[in-house]
Amino acid sequence: MATKAGDWRSYQRVLLPPVRDLHKLSVYGDYAALRKVLAEYSPQEVAGIVKKSGLRGRGGAGFPTGLKWSFMPPIKAGVPRFLCCNGDESEPGTFKDRQLMEFNPHQMLEGILIANYAITAKTCYLYVRGEFADWITLIDAELAKAYEANLVGDNIMGTGFSTDIVVHKGAGAYICGEETSLMESLEGKRAYPRIKPPFPAQSGIWGYPTTINNADTLACVPPIIKRGAEWFAGIGAPGHPGPILYGISGHVNCPGVYEYPSGMLITDLLEEVAGGMRGGKALKAVVPGGASVPVLRADMIDGVTMDAGSLKKAGSMLGTAGMLFLDEDTDMVAFLRRVTRFYHHESCGQCTPCRDGTGWMENLVTRIDEGEGNLRDLDLLLDLCNQMEGRTVCALADAAAWPVRNTILRFRKDFEAKCRSSMWTAKTVA
Amino acid sequence: MASVTIDGRTYEFEGRPRLLQFCLDHGIEIPHFCYHPSMSVPANCRQCLIDVGALMRNRATGALERDEDGAPIIRYMPKLQTSCSHTLSDGQVIHTRRTSQKVAQAQRDNLEFLLINHPLDCPICDQAGMCPLQIQAYKYGPEGSRFEFKKTHKPKKVKLGPRVVLDAERCINCTRCTRFTDEISKSHQLTIIERGVKNYPMTPPGMTFDEPYSMNVIDLCPVGALTSADFRFQARIWEMSSAPSITTTNAKGSNCNYWVRDNLVLRVTPRENPAVNEFWLPDEDRMAYRRFNEDRPEGPQVRTRGAFHAASWEDACAYAARLLRGAGKRALFLASAHAPVEDNYLLIRLAAAVGGRVAGFIEHMEPGHGDGWLRTDDRAPNSEGCRRLGLAPVGAEMLREEIASGAVGALYVLDDDPVGAGLVRSEDLSDIPVILHHYHTTNETLLSADVALPSATVAETIGTYVNEDGRAQRVVPAKAVRGAHRTLMMQMGLSRADRHGTPFDRWHNESNLINCKPGWEVLPMVARAAGCDFMDRGPRKVMREVADTFEAFAGATYKVMGLGGHSLPPR
Repeated sequence: MATKAGDWRSYQRVLLPPVRDLHKLSVYGDYAALRKVLAEYSPQEVAGIVKKSGLRGRGGAGFPTGLKWSFMPPIKAGVPRFLCCNGDESEPGTFKDRQLMEFNPHQMLEGILIANYAITAKTCYLYVRGEFADWITLIDAELAKAYEANLVGDNIMGTGFSTDIVVHKGAGAYICGEETSLMESLEGKRAYPRIKPPFPAQSGIWGYPTTINNADTLACVPPIIKRGAEWFAGIGAPGHPGPILYGISGHVNCPGVYEYPSGMLITDLLEEVAGGMRGGKALKAVVPGGASVPVLRADMIDGVTMDAGSLKKAGSMLGTAGMLFLDEDTDMVAFLRRVTRFYHHESCGQCTPCRDGTGWMENLVTRIDEGEGNLRDLDLLLDLCNQMEGRTVCALADAAAWPVRNTILRFRKDFEAKCRSSMWTAKTVA
Repeated sequence: MASVTIDGRTYEFEGRPRLLQFCLDHGIEIPHFCYHPSMSVPANCRQCLIDVGALMRNRATGALERDEDGAPIIRYMPKLQTSCSHTLSDGQVIHTRRTSQKVAQAQRDNLEFLLINHPLDCPICDQAGMCPLQIQAYKYGPEGSRFEFKKTHKPKKVKLGPRVVLDAERCINCTRCTRFTDEISKSHQLTIIERGVKNYPMTPPGMTFDEPYSMNVIDLCPVGALTSADFRFQARIWEMSSAPSITTTNAKGSNCNYWVRDNLVLRVTPRENPAVNEFWLPDEDRMAYRRFNEDRPEGPQVRTRGAFHAASWEDACAYAARLLRGAGKRALFLASAHAPVEDNYLLIRLAAAVGGRVAGFIEHMEPGHGDGWLRTDDRAPNSEGCRRLGLAPVGAEMLREEIASGAVGALYVLDDDPVGAGLVRSEDLSDIPVILHHYHTTNETLLSADVALPSATVAETIGTYVNEDGRAQRVVPAKAVRGAHRTLMMQMGLSRADRHGTPFDRWHNESNLINCKPGWEVLPMVARAAGCDFMDRGPRKVMREVADTFEAFAGATYKVMGLGGHSLPPR
């Protein structure tokens, strides 16, 4: 079957190329893309190239990166501008940035420098999830080498362009991955998301213009510079081009992070990339983009490809492409119980609907899972989804509500089987 | 001028006002918890949701786009917006809960969420009766709750500081209190700790919430989470009646309400006045209410053969008059920065009538006490009023010398304590008759006094005080004094919202009544007893006379001052 990913079997990896010891600066090379940018392009031209490449953010929302860079206000004397690299990867089922930081950190750092040049920022804050302690140590060491080689810091490679990268270690909250609360956290405050507008481009870190990109997104930039926007735009699905790090987990034979073009068939990813379902079991459900995106039933993935358009049509989202495959033995109620527990635990508590709603949802799903639930609890859960969605400062309430709504709607039989049929029956039995 | 349509009615506006404030200013009710006009807007309670739309215009021509029926097409925002954070722009169409079922439902849903982990212990909660959560839950909330689980448990009766007690379970995390310490008082003594449904405000490790403005968070708290350590469980809101007044612990004259039950002042809360104290009140003002209740003198006293004896008002005034007549020109009067303008003015008149003179007023400076905000170095409420009456602070040296030289035949002290203030020593006064028109029994001059005439405190009298910025503000009685007093009673009735107090507030019976009289009643009594031609006038007329006589009080009549005060011309 022809896919949007084209001839993906012969795809040459660019984000995680098969090179031994790539994390070392000596192996990675001396930032050729950065050199090219500094020598040949103006900042506007760099942003133009990225815009032309069609690169979309890899953090989940899929916003066009070049467009985001162009939102930065004009340079004003005395007003600092910042880039922020979001490496606070904490979505359940997503583990792609981790691989980048472990195996190819220099490409990310080079991408940061190019982005810094494109938006004329003097500083980039690299916010890394605190649990990635080993890779923070690695990045710190490699960054020191890059400073030594004059690839970062003052007067980079003698071009007069100076910029710094500051690595910041998160303290372990899911909400810090949300861009505005990441900034609050970076400023040393409680990580409560901010109201938008103003957007980060107007008022970001310490109230100054800030662009914030995912680590994976920035790692895509050096190849774009090296090989050109057309090359990048030609990879994978047209609306959402480029290489994607598919983080495959669940009941498959070969879970892991795989780099392939966007627009891969979910069935291809399952059967040919991840080696099929474990123990030859049948597929029951797929969560295509991290825990917060709507779950797809096995019968909903025929011909569905991993790009924004196709997944939207199928009733889900690309998110972070962290794919979770669940086999026929999976108890969807238990699955949902774990998901709701996560969002209950990670709600920051700023907004009422999310603070109180996530806990209520967990209570209800737990009750159903323990066989104490009633049928009307399912309708109450759907009601709660309506009550939470779109009523909070950030999207955590939405992220908590989508899996609940879609898991119930798409696997209602599983839930009904675990519910007591009604209050009356329960009483009669008792 | 720019205009918006709110619930089908068009309003004009200037600048870029916030929608919630705009609605509140125009009498449109929108339920809300976290929003406070003087602090930043976090939009975290999510209660003030509204539906915002804009009229669609043709991009090329700018003309309104219309549907087949000719009605303009309105494009609504996909999500409901929080009105507190929404800035108005021209041509917007806004629906509040009055015209949008969607908004009403969203607000009902939000209240359901707010209440699921709220203990609903209203029957024992201090805030009940004036609780925004209670009021809005009744008005806009769902009829019941579908929550059938155990509520979250959090620490209760946590002493955050010496004056504020926290019940974390009642907290709805509006962050008003933490924003107050961050943005208004800047003490940074409160922060939110924990995460999600478990979070609540707390002091940072090693800190005590003891800033001089800490009790403001009690009023800010939209639920009963932050309560006053002092007032906790003392009275229900509906048992008390409140009277608008001012505080008298310093020269700022912050506007406040005195809350009274059974003729006892039980608490002091701030009263909004943008020109003086905005919404705030220092803790010292709130804690200074006990002197209205405790340790009060009971009726006039006269010293005969070395001992004090109770006397009737007529006898005491007659005795005072006799002492003043005996001293004649050697009668010395001390005005008071604690007494209202009316009393001080009448004291000046009395001094003139009996031929004595007014030495000035006693200053109560406490250097270093002021903080440039609502606390001042001057610990008396009316120094500025005395100065505007042409009185100067009395020097201790001068007064002692005058007494020592025998130039003082009698000393008339109005509402003050020269011995306690360190102006004179008790022995200095042993040889001369002292008439103490005092307001407090813990008064060291009392030991030397020959006549003591208890006077009404600020919570019982009618009068005018001038704060250090030259703002004349009047007070009305919050509690009653013993004996029928028509002027006070009338003002007191007017000062209470329901004119009579609450059914639980027995201010009209004999309990807790103090036998004292306001200065503007006693001073004419003394004057008449001394045989002087002295008009007996109520405080209103006295103040009008002051306003007519003194340039520095131009226009300061009761009517002009109202409840908000009147800025006097610069002196």
